[in-house]
Amino acid sequence: MPTAMRKREEYQNRIELLQGTLDMLILQTLRRGPQHGYGISQRIRSGSGEVLQAETGSLYPALHRLERQGWIRSDWKSSAHNQRARYYRLTAAGRKQLAKEHSRWQQLCAAISRLMNPREKEGAA
Amino acid sequence: MSLDLSRLFHRKRRDEELDEEIQSHLAMATRERIEQGEEPQAAAQAARREFGNRTLVQETTRAMWGWSSLELLWQDARYALRGMRRSPAFTAVAVLSLALGMGANTAIFSLINALMLRMLPVRDPGQLVELLFKAPGQDHFNAFDWRDYEHYRENNHVFSGLVASSDTPFAIRGDGLEPEIVRGGFVSPNYFSVLGVSPALGRLIGMEDGSASAPGNIAVVSWAYWKSRLGSDPAVIGRQILDGDHPLTVVGVAPRGFVGLEPANPQDIWLPLTPQHPSYVATARYWLRLAARLKPGMSLKQARAEMAVLYRWTVEEEFKTSDDRSVRSWKIEVQPAGAGLSQLRDQFGKPALVLMAVVALLLLIACANMASLLLARGSARRREMAVRVSLGAGRWRLLRQGLTESVMLAAWGGLIGILLAYWGTGVLVRIMGSGRQRVELQAHPDPAVLLFTAGIALLTGVLCGLAPAWQAYRAAPVSFLRASAAGSETRGRRLFGKSLVVAQVAFSVVLLSAASLFIRHLSHLEHLDLGFRRDHVLLVQLNPSGSGYDRERLSRAYNELLARLEAIPGVCSATMCGFFPMAGVGGMRPATVEGYQAKPGERRYLSESWVAPKYFATFGIPLVMGRDFSFADQGHGRVAIVNQTLVRYFFGDRNPIGRHITFDGDSQPFEIVGVVGDAKSGDMREPALRFVYLNSFQLGTESSRFALRTSVDPEAVAGDVRRVVRGLLKTVAIENMKTLAAQVDGAIVPERLSAMMSGLFGALGALLAALGLYGLLAYTVARRIHELGIRVALGASRSDVTRMVVGEALGLSCAGLAVGVPIAYWGRRFAVSLIPELPVQGVIPLVFGAAVMVILAWLAAYLPARRATRVDPMEALRYE
Repeated sequence: MPTAMRKREEYQNRIELLQGTLDMLILQTLRRGPQHGYGISQRIRSGSGEVLQAETGSLYPALHRLERQGWIRSDWKSSAHNQRARYYRLTAAGRKQLAKEHSRWQQLCAAISRLMNPREKEGAA
Repeated sequence: MSLDLSRLFHRKRRDEELDEEIQSHLAMATRERIEQGEEPQAAAQAARREFGNRTLVQETTRAMWGWSSLELLWQDARYALRGMRRSPAFTAVAVLSLALGMGANTAIFSLINALMLRMLPVRDPGQLVELLFKAPGQDHFNAFDWRDYEHYRENNHVFSGLVASSDTPFAIRGDGLEPEIVRGGFVSPNYFSVLGVSPALGRLIGMEDGSASAPGNIAVVSWAYWKSRLGSDPAVIGRQILDGDHPLTVVGVAPRGFVGLEPANPQDIWLPLTPQHPSYVATARYWLRLAARLKPGMSLKQARAEMAVLYRWTVEEEFKTSDDRSVRSWKIEVQPAGAGLSQLRDQFGKPALVLMAVVALLLLIACANMASLLLARGSARRREMAVRVSLGAGRWRLLRQGLTESVMLAAWGGLIGILLAYWGTGVLVRIMGSGRQRVELQAHPDPAVLLFTAGIALLTGVLCGLAPAWQAYRAAPVSFLRASAAGSETRGRRLFGKSLVVAQVAFSVVLLSAASLFIRHLSHLEHLDLGFRRDHVLLVQLNPSGSGYDRERLSRAYNELLARLEAIPGVCSATMCGFFPMAGVGGMRPATVEGYQAKPGERRYLSESWVAPKYFATFGIPLVMGRDFSFADQGHGRVAIVNQTLVRYFFGDRNPIGRHITFDGDSQPFEIVGVVGDAKSGDMREPALRFVYLNSFQLGTESSRFALRTSVDPEAVAGDVRRVVRGLLKTVAIENMKTLAAQVDGAIVPERLSAMMSGLFGALGALLAALGLYGLLAYTVARRIHELGIRVALGASRSDVTRMVVGEALGLSCAGLAVGVPIAYWGRRFAVSLIPELPVQGVIPLVFGAAVMVILAWLAAYLPARRATRVDPMEALRYE
């Protein structure tokens, strides 16, 4: 029972990923080189200062969906600890898609912050 | 496609890969936790906990792979196959009834394809046309003579080439060749070049063979002849063969598949047609068939207009030598001939179209039958559907699955149907070929036919499957699970099931009345008074060509032969005639009849035939007045015997004996010595012609056709006839021997074909409809068993229950009759528009069709009604 309680608290500290942002984060992560599913989830967590968590139930479907769309490719390789793993890497189409999603994300952020901070906007005007 | 296929078969490997991927994820997470100092056991547990529900992850990931349309189709097909295997009886009935329907359609379509659609193997067959002349009230004929041919060829501006060909049997023999009659023709020198046919070997007949200096004694043979008779000998070019006694040099082999302009009557040898050598080229009449290639861009209409002008010349020429004014109303027709000359098409085309309509109806019945079977089974499977919908099955998926199932059933039906049709067309062609004409139609399924069958199979599958699939689509998840098995059948659905049965009954009535119509027509023709007795007569045709006999010796030998034939035990009389009954007449000539004042422009034609003494006795034609011919007429005054139609026309009530007939252009008259009854000669559907019989032995017009009247079965004396002929005339071949009954039957082959086929298909359709009715009633009784139990418990008697079931059956079939009888009435008018001789009057066919359906409905109701009366109220009430 107590572990369950703690878990719920942990969840409350995390921010749910917005619909559609996981794809962008995966692509962004893979810009630094090929990575396996576990590595991707670790990088998202550590890169976001433990705030964002890519649930495996979303991560793997996303990886397979992105591969089907041709934005990433996968190969089986051995990791540093001699563990066979499936490494995903970005394709040219994936790079393009990432750029597109990134700029859309920036527009979204700007629009939301404008809405949330109307004074700044008035002040700027 | 290849991508889809590889995915289809890599799915299992991808599953394993996903498993390994998750495994490696867990392994890495565990290792990291151990490195941070956790206990291995606890680390593995924590990693698994963090990972979450592994099965769910796998499931959602797999969903991302998606199914290719092919995989879905494969799944649906396997699902359908499972369903088919689960209920083999249902599958067998459905597939078999569809196979019958589609087999019948395929067979008749094969026939139509071979008759009308399949193009000749020549260059651009769409440009080919044929010329036909037509006298008012008669069939059209592609029959011209050399004079016409030359005139049209020289003066037309619409054809890039006009070709003439004859249909001539040649008596071919030679070294290593069995003497036999080979079908072939004389062809104009431009024949092969206009058709655009190139040789398989050597050369074909060309323009150089038409010049005055050309030897003319050359021949081109067909590929089939070269293969079967000349042993595919590549050195055949230059080989000598004999046509009768004329030597011929083989100069070439036609390409494979080319058999002349009439594929159903294949030719195997072609000789050049030149005006120089055979003397009859210039004088023979109506023996050439003309076909032409339209100039590019020239329309059929332009060709018709041009030929109408050119034909006027022919009519004027004709008119010069006859004062028959009716010549002036002769017309010329230009018809497309890309699929070959029309002779067989004219004979069988329309019956084939009527049969096509008949089999289309049969297929509709089979369709309705299968739709109601599927619907009934769909009702039984509603629980399954409801569960699947509740579990989240897509409705489209269910719809598509339903359609896949019915299309697969139809596909199986189509496959078996093609096999049935393969056998069936063989039978059809054999029936067609049992007539006067040789028919070697290549009617076996070809790509066009297979495409047709695939098309109707798909259409049938979709048509049959739509209603049940819609039912699956509409499957209500919750409401159904709540409701009981029997109660929730909607009114609309019941009505639809009933209307399917009503449609089957209606179509069956149409089929049955059509069958009855055709059978009655056939029986009418079979029992027609032909003016002669068709039983106990054997017809023997000899072929003296190449036998070495000259005319005079042959005449004496034939005289002797008649005496010897008559001496065969069982033979009552023997005679000889110019033409066998039903095979046409000798000719028609205008004549002057003594004592008759012809009106100006009157058609004074008489039909003539040359016969030997005892002709009338042999054929059973009554001698009404005067005497028969005799051998003693030889060397005396010319005599004639006339039929009653001629007497009525020219003499009325006066006595014609002793009067004279003089043919135009003939100096010597014939004295009428006898009058005989009317006998049909050419077409039994036509009234008798004005006939004059002349004595072969008096005129030296002996033919090689003999007829024997026997007191025993005519086939039984055939062996003796063979012996007698061989004993007397060693080198003369027996070309053909058959009974007069068979000869007469041969004249009504299209009618027999229509009657047999429509009878067969009508019976099949009625059977299917009865099965459909039975199925519906059985289903209804099963569904209402609860209600019936209550009724019986409340005191309903057996007869009440029986009346209920039979009443439903009769109600349904009456509804079917109400729809079907008007369609049958209209259908008959359609049939009559195609085949004008059909009896238009009379309600017997309609009454027959209706009566059969009512009786069948009664029979179909019997078993369900018995089941209903045996309902035990207690059991029925416990049933739910």
